[in-house]
Amino acid sequence: MTTETKPSVITFWRVLTAAIFALGAYAAYLRFLRGWQASTNLSDLQPWGLWVGFGTLCGVGLSAGGFAIAGAVYLLGMERYRPLLRPAILLSFLGYSTVCSGMLYELGLPWRIWHPMIYWNGHSVLFDVSLCVMCYTTVLLMEFAPYAIEKIPYVRLRETFLHWHHKVLIALVLAGVLLSSMHQSFLGGLFLIAKGKVYPVWYSPYLTTLFYLSAIPAGIAMLTIVLYLCVRSLNVKLEFSLLEEMSRVMGMLLGVYGIFRGLDLVKGGGIHYIFARRVETLYFWLEIALLVIIPLFLLSQSRIRNNPQALYWTCAVVVMGFMANRLNVSITAIDAMTGAHYVPKWPEFALTIAVLAAAGVVFRLAVIYLDILPKKELPPKPTTWVHVNTAEA
Amino acid sequence: MSNKKAILVDIKRCIGCQACEQNCQQVHGFPVEHQPHLSETALTFVDQKGEKFVRRMCLHCEEPACASACLVGALKKSALGPVTYDSKKCMGCRYCMIACPQGVPKYQWSKLAPLVKKCDMCYDRQVAGGKPACVEACPVEASVFGDRDALLKEAWDRIRADSTYVPRIYGSEEFGGTSVFYVSDVAFEDLGFVKPVNGSQPLPTLSAAALGETPTVVVVGGSMLAALYWITQRKREVAVAELHELDKKERS
Repeated sequence: MTTETKPSVITFWRVLTAAIFALGAYAAYLRFLRGWQASTNLSDLQPWGLWVGFGTLCGVGLSAGGFAIAGAVYLLGMERYRPLLRPAILLSFLGYSTVCSGMLYELGLPWRIWHPMIYWNGHSVLFDVSLCVMCYTTVLLMEFAPYAIEKIPYVRLRETFLHWHHKVLIALVLAGVLLSSMHQSFLGGLFLIAKGKVYPVWYSPYLTTLFYLSAIPAGIAMLTIVLYLCVRSLNVKLEFSLLEEMSRVMGMLLGVYGIFRGLDLVKGGGIHYIFARRVETLYFWLEIALLVIIPLFLLSQSRIRNNPQALYWTCAVVVMGFMANRLNVSITAIDAMTGAHYVPKWPEFALTIAVLAAAGVVFRLAVIYLDILPKKELPPKPTTWVHVNTAEA
Repeated sequence: MSNKKAILVDIKRCIGCQACEQNCQQVHGFPVEHQPHLSETALTFVDQKGEKFVRRMCLHCEEPACASACLVGALKKSALGPVTYDSKKCMGCRYCMIACPQGVPKYQWSKLAPLVKKCDMCYDRQVAGGKPACVEACPVEASVFGDRDALLKEAWDRIRADSTYVPRIYGSEEFGGTSVFYVSDVAFEDLGFVKPVNGSQPLPTLSAAALGETPTVVVVGGSMLAALYWITQRKREVAVAELHELDKKERS
């Protein structure tokens, strides 16, 4: 008897994921065995491109949710956000994992990825970034570890670990907040030394502050998107009012960012370029619209904040605005000055998307098999009953 | 007086014979061919600007942006003057290429294990007591090599002796001073020279300003966070104690 209505193994999403991995594998082959010219459009005029601009700058920025929530819950005592803690840590941990994996193909000599550990240059902003990212990824691994270790069936081992973990947790959270604040800002600081090669509308001596101020709301937006998708597609529950409350904080932070950005444009002279008849002006306004103007308008409407789907799309706009900002600083602004006319080659997209898809798959598995979000108690499916009954009979 | 070395390029004297770039390519084992820009196999080239010839190369800044940017310290300003590259340390992050205002460091994009290529002012030849290959080849002394201080004096002497020179040495203070200077009888702006955006301040001061605040931010931020945690903890303790007392009262 075939009353069993098992969901099909082949679904649209699985086919899509497989296709992404296949393309990613081919792109990896091109990058590692055929070289840079076969896999990228990078050049001496645009040596960083999509992998750094998107993979690293956006990857780190959009993973800011972990330290924000951990800091809010443990240091500021905002206990109500505790249900968001585990998904936030997981999201950040996987985000940083994609950044570190990205290094393996964006570095020219990836087998030397450990060099910053022994060859130090304290004058280099990138050195500080790499040290912070190494340390913070370790912190995230340790913050994430108990979610996996609590599933170990050996009681003594498990309890010993959790006992010790509990003792160092606050130190980890504190270090995490400091390390994050530092490298989120320093990612902007990378471009300070390139003054003259960054189109003036994006150059500011306060790039560090601007990057920091934009990363936190963007990290919150990313977390909201992921939580919304979890509740929609996985068997978990979450009180929506938390997301609504968090979106108000996000709106406030975006407002602060917008004001700071405006003042900085006036003070730094970037304001003279905001209506220049150049293509960069379009990119600039696209970024400002997506990152500040549209989200602030949408978030001011309680109708939108209180509608899960509307809030989801609002957060998507914030994330897109954030990406526009990072890509503008790292690609558009440099392109404008060096005239590189850089357009990423398809393997640059393919590898980036494949790594993100891998993180997505791991996130999904973690939510299913670990205690990341509380599971919904489903009413037993009638088909199961029929099946069991007939089997017994 | 330091024994820092430097190169003086005299644009008025240059006849555009390209002997410098040919000798450079020969010494490095690159194919000898003229290229209209710096590249991984053209560490110097003669750039024709109207009727003038400008020899482009790494300026070997006194405080180089590339060396300040290099996270593993593969690029270094040597005591002798040249900015050198240690290919064994380089990890291929290409931040030097972003940082250099002149776009000097070039990358071997066609290789599977690419390295950065830039002029090192023939550091090894200098250590052995020789001259940079490009200078050695120049038939008209449009490029001369010597002690930095002495060459600066020589440059001023040339400018003073001939009123057709622009009264300025490009590199005496641009980017905080460089180890390759130019004198010219045509305005530098018309010859495609990069206008230093940071004036006579070296570019690394721009990132140093941000990095310098780090210890303060860590100490102040760290203590503030610790204090916040203490307050949070204390609030919790007080709340628990109050509950206990309430509990006791109700029992008694």
